[in-house]
Amino acid sequence: MGKSKGNRSKDKKENEFNLTRRRFLKLSGVTGAILWTTHKTIGQLDSCLASPLQKKARYEEKWVVTSCLNCQGRCGIRIGVVNQRAVQVTGNPYSQVSEGKICPRAHVGLQVLYDPERIISPLKRTSSEKGKQIDPRWKPISWDQVLEEVSRNLRNLRDGLRPHHLLLFSGLNSRSNEDLISRFAEAYGTPNLVTGDALDWEAERAGNWMADGHFDLCAYDLDQTNYILSFGADLLESTPPVARWLRKWGKFRREKSIRTKVVSIQPRYSLTASKSDEWIPIKPGTDGALAMGIAHIILHEDLFDHRFIKEWTFGFEQYRETVLQNYSPEAVSKMTGIPTETIYRIAREFAQTRPALAIPGKGALAWSGGSYVGYAIRCLNALVGSIDVPGGILYQEQPEYRAVPKVPSDEIAKKGLKQPPLDLRGTERFPASRVVTNQIPQSLIERKPYPIEMAIGFNSNFNMTAPASRSWEEALKRIPFYVHVAPFISEMAQFADLLLPSTTYLEEWGYDHSSSGAGFAEVRIKQPVIKPIGDSKSIGDIIFLLAERIPGVVAKAFNGIGNCAEEFVRLRTSSLLSWEEFLKKGVWKGPPYQYKKYPTIFHTPSKKFEFVSGNLRALLNKKGRAIGEGTEILPHYSRVRWLGDESQFPLILFSYQPLLTFDNGSQNYPWAQEIFLPMQGMGWTSPAEVNRETARSLNLRERDRIWIESPFGKIQTYVKISEGVPPNMVCIPFGQGHTSYGKWQKGIGCNPNEVIGVDFDLLSGQSAFFNTRVKIYKA
Amino acid sequence: MVIDLDKCTGCQACTIACKVENNVPHGSPEEQRLRREIYWHKTIAVSRGKFPHIRTEILPMPCMQCEHPPCVTVCPAKATYRREDGIIMQSYRRCIGCKYCMVACPYGARSFNYKAQETKPYHRQDDPPDRKSWEPWPFPARTQGVVEKCTFCFHRIDQGLKEGKKIGIEVVPACVEACPSQARTFGDLDDPQSQISRLLASRSSFRLREELATHPKVLYLSR
Amino acid sequence: MEMNYSTIEGTSKGYKILIVFLGVMVGVFITSFLVAYLKGQQVWGVNNIIPWGQLITFYIYFIGLSAGAIIISSLSYVFRRETYEAIGRLAVFMGILLMIGAMVFVMVDLGRPEKAWRLFMYFYLNNMSSLFAINSIFYTGYITLMLIYLWLIFEGKKRFAAIIGTIDVLWAIAVHMGTGAIFGLIGNREIFFSPIKPFEFLMAALTSGTSLIILISVITFKLTRRMIQEELIFSLGRLLTTIIVVLLITVFVDKLTHLYFPNREATLYLFTGDYWWIFWIFQIGMGIGFPLFLLTYPKTKKSSRGVVLAALSVVIGVFGERAALVIPGTAHPQPFFPGNIEGPWGEPGIFPITFWESLLSLSIVSFVVLLFVLGLRYLEILPVRKAGDIPPTLDPTVKG
Repeated sequence: MGKSKGNRSKDKKENEFNLTRRRFLKLSGVTGAILWTTHKTIGQLDSCLASPLQKKARYEEKWVVTSCLNCQGRCGIRIGVVNQRAVQVTGNPYSQVSEGKICPRAHVGLQVLYDPERIISPLKRTSSEKGKQIDPRWKPISWDQVLEEVSRNLRNLRDGLRPHHLLLFSGLNSRSNEDLISRFAEAYGTPNLVTGDALDWEAERAGNWMADGHFDLCAYDLDQTNYILSFGADLLESTPPVARWLRKWGKFRREKSIRTKVVSIQPRYSLTASKSDEWIPIKPGTDGALAMGIAHIILHEDLFDHRFIKEWTFGFEQYRETVLQNYSPEAVSKMTGIPTETIYRIAREFAQTRPALAIPGKGALAWSGGSYVGYAIRCLNALVGSIDVPGGILYQEQPEYRAVPKVPSDEIAKKGLKQPPLDLRGTERFPASRVVTNQIPQSLIERKPYPIEMAIGFNSNFNMTAPASRSWEEALKRIPFYVHVAPFISEMAQFADLLLPSTTYLEEWGYDHSSSGAGFAEVRIKQPVIKPIGDSKSIGDIIFLLAERIPGVVAKAFNGIGNCAEEFVRLRTSSLLSWEEFLKKGVWKGPPYQYKKYPTIFHTPSKKFEFVSGNLRALLNKKGRAIGEGTEILPHYSRVRWLGDESQFPLILFSYQPLLTFDNGSQNYPWAQEIFLPMQGMGWTSPAEVNRETARSLNLRERDRIWIESPFGKIQTYVKISEGVPPNMVCIPFGQGHTSYGKWQKGIGCNPNEVIGVDFDLLSGQSAFFNTRVKIYKA
Repeated sequence: MVIDLDKCTGCQACTIACKVENNVPHGSPEEQRLRREIYWHKTIAVSRGKFPHIRTEILPMPCMQCEHPPCVTVCPAKATYRREDGIIMQSYRRCIGCKYCMVACPYGARSFNYKAQETKPYHRQDDPPDRKSWEPWPFPARTQGVVEKCTFCFHRIDQGLKEGKKIGIEVVPACVEACPSQARTFGDLDDPQSQISRLLASRSSFRLREELATHPKVLYLSR
Repeated sequence: MEMNYSTIEGTSKGYKILIVFLGVMVGVFITSFLVAYLKGQQVWGVNNIIPWGQLITFYIYFIGLSAGAIIISSLSYVFRRETYEAIGRLAVFMGILLMIGAMVFVMVDLGRPEKAWRLFMYFYLNNMSSLFAINSIFYTGYITLMLIYLWLIFEGKKRFAAIIGTIDVLWAIAVHMGTGAIFGLIGNREIFFSPIKPFEFLMAALTSGTSLIILISVITFKLTRRMIQEELIFSLGRLLTTIIVVLLITVFVDKLTHLYFPNREATLYLFTGDYWWIFWIFQIGMGIGFPLFLLTYPKTKKSSRGVVLAALSVVIGVFGERAALVIPGTAHPQPFFPGNIEGPWGEPGIFPITFWESLLSLSIVSFVVLLFVLGLRYLEILPVRKAGDIPPTLDPTVKG
């Protein structure tokens, strides 16, 4: 214990700071020296620009033209590949459908390519049970083994004279792959090739077909239109070709002298509605009534295009009578919930702004009377003379690929192709349909008209994207042998016995043309930007490999069209342009669009635009169906048939499709997931949007977890109070609720398809998505 | 930069293209819940009104590259600084991670690296060329602990200047290039003949948080 | 009257246990720092909305305590008031240690602490418009001054000590007003932005510094069996009352101004939002209301227990005041565009209390306490124990 005095002391004790002046100076000197040295050395590395100490590595850059396949738009893109890694995506300026622009999903393609959970080798299922939550316990096997097993099964089925027991699913594939798949189906002898078209747009096609004989989607001249009246269409989110809509939106809003006015008629305030000039909330399912009501006003006030109607239409008088009798604006106002003045105003604006376009969207078409809604809207366009004119409806031209030799046929194939199709297309039940995707589960479960023994799925994921997922799961369980061909293990692949890893669209050869939209024809190349990852093969090559293992007409069908996908593509596009040019430019564009082809463009009995559908009349006559008072072959509105009793299920489930999950089988992409819902500013989620008053009356607060229950099932998510949702609806986005592999998608959100019931537009086979009623309550 | 809100379709291609170009790490559900996701460019939605008279505006927000940037004022290590042509640069080497700039930024343009990003599956590990090089494709290895933000793709501009290309016409930031509706324009605000100046003369425009007098260089053309 | 100072013996069991425990906590400090350094700040509660968390709160708190302590020490050395002689050295020593603690807090909070030398290296070459840079000059000078001050005190050079002490007091005021200016000059954060912030910080520093001196003196003297003059406590108590009143006025004026536009929204969020309790219960209640009551109510005012309780309340309350600035200040969502911003950008930030961050804060506090105890052991800080000082103990075998 030491003591020191408070006054000055000459004794230096141990417990004091032993600091003499000399020491202090020494210490300062050393510190200063250290600081100066540090400044001179480390400080130099601290330059704001590139340090001279760093070296430049070897750097190899190339740009490959190809096309995208994240949706049906299939836009031309250029991929920047640096040191053998794809790092950049831009549009292809030669592609004019979207003027060389691409949508955000094209960039996400890089994550599609490098998805760490892709299948890289063929896999075989080792667990005997199949189910949604059941682990298949995949075992890798070699390509030889898997091709042998698949082709053996195919051969056996064919030798057993039952080729029609083969079911082929085709999801989103390139056109060249689609051509190869359908060639295979035809040569093999099965009529059961099911695509997902009936989940999206069949009603639009049927409506168009009734009007002018084109069983095809609408194409629009957006460059020159001055008024767009959209019925239930999410133009900026899920109307293919998406990139075209995004580019043309900018164009017709501010790049032409007259700014196009856009009116969005939708039950819910969507992104498109927020960008439109007017949003008109409408009662769900009543778009047909509104279209007829607008027609009423146009007819009544004599605002239609007399010349076109007189010269190029058929059945106008009968149409006019029906409309004027049944669809007065006051009555329509009651049906749709839109004030009468608004209907008058919109109708007059639409008719008096030329050229104008009326556009149907899934929100208006995916109902049980959907084809007629499409027909009614098509007729609106005809009334204002917007058919095949600048700024109006266009007729999509198809590219003329070089014809391939006809598919050789034998007795087995002939007999097989004559069998009734599994999805009952073109039958009594769905007379005008070309595919009825959502009929498959019922047919499989009931084993009608015959059981299926084998199925192959190409990039399909219908139990995620089709209504009533449960019945799909039940149905898939009953397929004895299911082969799935895709780059990822999707929900459908979980029921497979064999998994064949196919390449993504960035590693394969193909040709593609976008879904209808631009009018003129345009073909884009698909070529590999990098070598296929893992042991994957492109679908085209897989089909060639399978075909050569099935002797007979199947193998013969695939002779003479090239030996692999690349040669097939080269052959088919040789009628359009030279291969070298195609490889370099990536795009072939057809001749410029010719307008007013009235003498030749209408594929109807009267060779004119028909307000009373002769095509349908002929079809129904062939089927032996009596045509009633005639409403059946005219556009009309039929009341919505709800699934679920209103007293028990008070709310309507109205789901919507955001851009970032549009047409996607997989959603394992963080770039898309984190910004999934722009209107809500949220990602990684799929909330149920509920009106404020509805939530209050049900005692629900923001973020409460709720069950959404329909007569067909229930799903769980949480509440988001939204002002854009009407009081009697609940809105959930599509695209989440995955349960298959992929850590960035599994278990996120919920899938509304699980609770949506099975219903159809019986004419076209289009699945109805919006007529399911639900109730919500706290979880 | 000028963003035309009437042409903008709210597709968010700009946000994704920025991530592709600059190797910005993606987030995760956990990170979004905790607000740790890194966005160099973000899109916000602003609503007003009640059903059925509701209006939602979608606003893309890059770094505003302000003329009087609060972040440059408060950075103690001069890690963020304004260069001659007006772009506010961010030097990851000098940044000490004090986050003062994040507090000071009125637009929330800055994000902090809360962890090393190399562990993420989609992150480009073998970035071409040498990761630390800054030309012409700089994906500088951003370590944990530094702040990052949009730089108007200065690497593209510098490369373009070296090659004698016209800035704003042939060379634009990734977000401007990716916008499908061509709602974004980039160029020289000081040049009265540039496309930007002409656009601004044609319609009314506004900037965000004008009252803070930061004089942002990103202007919005109203609908 | 001359006072003699001595070290503490450091032989009692309590002392040994304390040292061991604090030593373990230093180990914890190193561990938790390394965890955060290697894994990144994801282990803490900070995020892009609330970038400053517990560590910065402690940092400004400790600077405040340090500045307060130095100003109290000036009562002894500058103003030569005898009452405070007993705690003079204690105050200066605490000032140094609290400042060191604050520096540790801010260094650890940096994303890249190994580059921190830059702040102190270049001095004027740094960005002089940044208050962090200006503060780094202030802090370096401040620590140097305090060390010189303490050395002069130990040397017994009273006159020089008084001069340096004066400079140090002014410097302490500048330091803490500078810290306040870090927040006060940020225009976009409405809760921060105010010209009164430096003064508010200074007042808070004075109250918390005084209270901490009261607390630490009472506790240290008691644990080392020294007698503390009641007059000292009451005198500090009266000083505390005055300063709390001034603090109250400052806070009142600041918040009143903020209730008018343009800062109204954010201030209402502070008053009624998620973190209302930090403001009302801690800052106003424990920091101002309760101590003021204790110090003016006749019964408690006269008892040293009452003063000590008030001091404890202020110490906790002012910590709450710092937290009420840092957390709600950045949690309030910024209004990028008029209207209701959807999604996370429109919602107030969340600041979770995380294990590693809390552990780190506590361990740094323990580190400072360890330095304090070691200082008491090896430096002559406390006054010599006088014969009449020894209060009756339970253990007559303990040596004096």
